[in-house]
Amino acid sequence: MKTRKYILVLLAMFVLFAFPIVKPPLFFLTLCFSVFMFVGLTESWNLLGGYTGYVSLGHIAFFSTGAYTTAVCMNRLGLSPFVTAPLGGIFSAILAALVGYPVLRLKGAYFTISSLLLAVVMQLIFMNWDFVGSSTGLWYKLLPVSIEMNRLLFYEAMLILATITTLVVRYVERSKFGAGLVAIREDEDVAKTMGINTPWLKMKAFILGAFLAGTVGGIYGYYMSYVHPEVTFSMNTSLLILLMSFFGGCRTWSGPLIGAVVLSLANQLIVTFIGAEISRILYGLLLVIVIMFMPDGVIQYAREAFAREKG
Amino acid sequence: MLEGVQVCRRFGGLRALTNLDFVVGQGQIVGLIGPNGSGKTTLFNAITGFYPADSGRIIYKGKEITRCRPYEIARLGIARTFQIVRPLLGLSVLDNVTTAVLYGREAIGSMGKGRGRALELLKFVRLDDKKDVPAQRLVAAEKKRLELARALALKPEFLLLDEVFSGLNDTEIQDAIKLIFRIRDELGVTIFLIEHVMKAVMGTCEKIFVIQYGVKLAEGKPEEVSRDPAVIEAYLGKKRAC
Amino acid sequence: MSLSYIIESIISGLLLGGIYALLSVGFGLTWGTMKVLNISHAVFAVLGAFVAYWMFVKAGIDPLISLPLLATLLFLVGAVVYRLVIRPVQKAKDVIMASMVATFGVAIVVENAMSFFWRPDPRILKPPYAGSSIFIGDMAISQGPLIGFIMAVSAITLLYLFLHHTYIGKGVQATWQNPMGAALVGINPGRVSLITFALSIASAGLAGVAMAMIYAFYPSVQSVWTMFVFLVTIVGGVGSVIGTGLAGLLIGFIIGLCAAFLPFVWVNVLLFALLLAILLFKPEGLFGA
Repeated sequence: MKTRKYILVLLAMFVLFAFPIVKPPLFFLTLCFSVFMFVGLTESWNLLGGYTGYVSLGHIAFFSTGAYTTAVCMNRLGLSPFVTAPLGGIFSAILAALVGYPVLRLKGAYFTISSLLLAVVMQLIFMNWDFVGSSTGLWYKLLPVSIEMNRLLFYEAMLILATITTLVVRYVERSKFGAGLVAIREDEDVAKTMGINTPWLKMKAFILGAFLAGTVGGIYGYYMSYVHPEVTFSMNTSLLILLMSFFGGCRTWSGPLIGAVVLSLANQLIVTFIGAEISRILYGLLLVIVIMFMPDGVIQYAREAFAREKG
Repeated sequence: MLEGVQVCRRFGGLRALTNLDFVVGQGQIVGLIGPNGSGKTTLFNAITGFYPADSGRIIYKGKEITRCRPYEIARLGIARTFQIVRPLLGLSVLDNVTTAVLYGREAIGSMGKGRGRALELLKFVRLDDKKDVPAQRLVAAEKKRLELARALALKPEFLLLDEVFSGLNDTEIQDAIKLIFRIRDELGVTIFLIEHVMKAVMGTCEKIFVIQYGVKLAEGKPEEVSRDPAVIEAYLGKKRAC
Repeated sequence: MSLSYIIESIISGLLLGGIYALLSVGFGLTWGTMKVLNISHAVFAVLGAFVAYWMFVKAGIDPLISLPLLATLLFLVGAVVYRLVIRPVQKAKDVIMASMVATFGVAIVVENAMSFFWRPDPRILKPPYAGSSIFIGDMAISQGPLIGFIMAVSAITLLYLFLHHTYIGKGVQATWQNPMGAALVGINPGRVSLITFALSIASAGLAGVAMAMIYAFYPSVQSVWTMFVFLVTIVGGVGSVIGTGLAGLLIGFIIGLCAAFLPFVWVNVLLFALLLAILLFKPEGLFGA
């Protein structure tokens, strides 16, 4: 049975990677790009948010650091984003290390507020920092290849990132590291008595998540060919990350994946055909509903409902 | 093995522990008793680094641990259980102990080996038949055994037990006493326990400390201490002439 | 730079601080009494600003006159939000986290609803008296902020009197200090929660009107106002009306002082650094209970 599962997954992956060959309309490539991006974002968020229980509303700060890194590198140095995106990840990791040192000592709500603060302050700073284009943002040239090649490269790059991120998180979940994170979430004091170096573990989760998000942001930033503080630091993206992870179920690696796929597809469709604000209103409502009725995620909820029906 | 010298701890204006001295020798089973609120758990919190002592010293195997952090103290080999049991509720019994094993002092890195060792520990406390049950569905006595298994997973040399016997019926108390001796005899762990259940104290401890209002009232063998007038007064009040 | 310029700046800051205090006092109240972290608090301030704006622009009703109606309206809105969102969330295992995430959702919903119906263009509330200034010596004090400040002080005082000198208010305090005990003596915790929450939303609405007379407002400004709410509440200590008031004045003083020397943006960064420092070293707040 396991081999059959693996074959199916490999097949699906092959289809995804080969998809651009059939020259689909641009809309579909853009849609998939957005989905892959959210998969990367939610999975990387979930390390600290779902497994460790430290809900961060500032994950976009790392995403944006990556986006701005590639933007500035392209703008000033003409470097290819495929080289500079990991650099964006590294800068995000450094930011996480600096900020995480004080902020991870705070518990629960205070941590979340501080993380929100991080995103807001960074937005303010970037709005007024000329090096990164302050309130006009940064435009930069695309790579010297055809538009189709561009789209193809970015599609594949983001797909690779989404896959790597998911695999990393899945690996962590099954490892000693993951067990430690979950122990912290369940009862941090008890985790300490078990010999778990809680500050260090939290830091690792934070930094790893930041690195992954930063790299994702690096590819995104270049893809958009334009970065602006209000767009990249959008609070709505923070909401979506949270929503997708909670919706799918933040206790497993598959939850954020499912949440990201389902909801970002829905989001793109609603935004395109109805409107951005309506989409956001629906998402706000969905978040409220998920928290009130399905805090463990829609899949868990469905499973339990099913079990109740049977039993 | 574990020694406290003039340990003091205040909480604001309240003096929780005052000039407390104590010694627990290796291989002993020592009890800590006293009326409610006398500072027993506070002492345990000081030893394990959760609420470190304000002054005085705590020495473990010759090294001072007064200012060490909780996970460092765990790594040195001191494990503890909590008065109100705190299993990792969202996880299964096996996962609870597996996590503890992985982070314990036996260098076990792989999940598979960790689970194997966890299963052995569960057999030791006779909880192996419930290994896949979510921890929140255990009854009180089982939760205590889980807590014990988790503490033992650390591979400690010193174990602090905080009121393990509370809420157990007579049979369970007898079983628990046997388990405590097995821990000392088979695993070589020194035990320091806080307890209210006198039957358990008398049945296990070779030495007892009595504290009241954060001050040591008496120390000695169980029979001596239970006849000490100051101790009796602390628990039962002064004898009245009228 | 003359001394009078600096003092003028400080006074402006203090007036703003008072208004921030009114903006934050309701937030601290719900956090302290109900353990509900209402991230949507500031969005209702923006809503209040819009309501006053429409009443002024469409019906010519002066903002100050519309205040009682506005407060009542927002009280009702608060009651509805309480019933729909807050009351269910209070039953969660971790009320603080659940309420925070749920109200985050509410904030986004309300913000985008306002953006959808009323467009995201900046508006400002400019009744005739808000434009001119009072002069003391060679310092000018703008009347808009002054009136807003007076509003804020009155509202906070009323709230304080309500909490300490009325039967219901004392019930609120009792529930806060000892929920079970309060229930035992017959205080209905559900009703207390409802009143507390609705009052806090109403106070947010009033603060919004005051803010609207000084600054341009638009739906997404709520996230910036939210930051100030956190700042003042945490500096002042959660749940303390007096603490929040003092914290507001302190923050206002700092804003005024810094604005005289620094570009505005760096003042904000400074304030948030201050907030972070307080969270790390003195989370009970400077004036906390």
